[in-house]
Amino acid sequence: MRAFEFYSAKNASDAVALLAQHGPKVKVLAGGTDLLADLKFAAASHHPNVVVDISRADDLRGIGMTDQGLRIGALATHTEIMRSPIVRAQLPALVDAAHTIGAVQTRNLGTLGGNLVTAVPSMDSGPTLVALDAIVTVAGKDGKRQMPLVDFFVGPRKTVLKSDELLVEIIIPKENVGKPAHFLKFGLRKGQALALVNVAAAFWVGDGNTFKAPRVALGAVAPKVIHAPSAESFLEGKPITPETMAEAGTLAVNDAKPINDFRASASYRRDLIAVLTRRAFEGAYALHTSRKAK
Amino acid sequence: MVPVTVTVNGEKRTASVPPETTLLKLLRESFNLTGAKLGCDVGDCGACTVIVDGNLVNSCLMLAGQADGRDILTIEGLATADRLHPIQKCFEEKGSLQCGFCGPGVILSAKWLLDQTPNPTVPEIRDALSGNLCRCTGYTKMIEAIQTIAREREDASPVA
Repeated sequence: MRAFEFYSAKNASDAVALLAQHGPKVKVLAGGTDLLADLKFAAASHHPNVVVDISRADDLRGIGMTDQGLRIGALATHTEIMRSPIVRAQLPALVDAAHTIGAVQTRNLGTLGGNLVTAVPSMDSGPTLVALDAIVTVAGKDGKRQMPLVDFFVGPRKTVLKSDELLVEIIIPKENVGKPAHFLKFGLRKGQALALVNVAAAFWVGDGNTFKAPRVALGAVAPKVIHAPSAESFLEGKPITPETMAEAGTLAVNDAKPINDFRASASYRRDLIAVLTRRAFEGAYALHTSRKAK
Repeated sequence: MVPVTVTVNGEKRTASVPPETTLLKLLRESFNLTGAKLGCDVGDCGACTVIVDGNLVNSCLMLAGQADGRDILTIEGLATADRLHPIQKCFEEKGSLQCGFCGPGVILSAKWLLDQTPNPTVPEIRDALSGNLCRCTGYTKMIEAIQTIAREREDASPVA
């Protein structure tokens, strides 16, 4: 690894001050699962002069309800999300998504904030949060700003974050806490695989067993995690049937722009989108049904 | 240079290392604890697995500076001079390791699993070992060993 200066931030505002002081060739270190691999093997042009370690900034941790909704601190690890009682009870899709990331060791280190900031299009934490209309809070030297997570992503490995800004938290709006949701990932093997396609669907069951506020988000099939707006607008108010769910899957295909690469062809990915979208809606509905039975 | 003080296997150790030093390098080169191995160096293979503050982690993905003040268990912390840890003993009896390069990581993953989940199912064991790549023995005998330990612990009084 090439040499760099190392600073450990005590809290979020300390981190922001360090970033402002040392930018722009500065990198934030959280869980390290992406950054350390990059520091070892990335091109010299990407190499930072300064690394700001935020892993001791405890105000960036924690998972709990606030006035705005369910707050997940950017430093919450994938394991902490999997074990959180409130996440398990209200949003089990987030548990499933966290569980598909890496392996035990990397889930213990890797953070939700880090997964989002790295912004790899196949990230497994993105689709469920986008389907739940999650909001992110970004802190900079001039204060905080919030935006929908889907607008936080710009493209492959690119977000709206400036070099002196820090992602501090992810919030699932309180009206969506408990919304039935389901996450599915398709990889070439079970352990430590990157998604060929990952999908999350969420909706409320409205009067007369109809779709209310349906959302579907797709990963690994566009430069960033995207909504599938044609599937969402088609389903709004429609009866919940196998046919409408299958049609939503077919429509979602046209919202995506999958690529050919060494993992899979674009046409295979298009087939996966249709099937996984349908199954994700089926899974969310099954969660609704099982909760109602209790 | 970054000053680092850690507790390794119950013993307080200090070192001063360049900022880009990983925890793995600190353990191997400053403390001469060579049980954790350098494999892929990107967090895929698990040969560098250690336990930091109770969390199973890849020591190749943590900087020494991030480990400052923390409590670390490496494979050297399991056995005493005259007695193997029960997990090591069971792996030995079952022939669960051949070349042994992945062994320190696998055994710590097994310990972490059994500490959290005393009676793991086979899918739980497979999930717990999915961050440890073994390319010679295969996983079947490791899974059998972990199941055997869980059964023995259930039969006997709990073993640390």
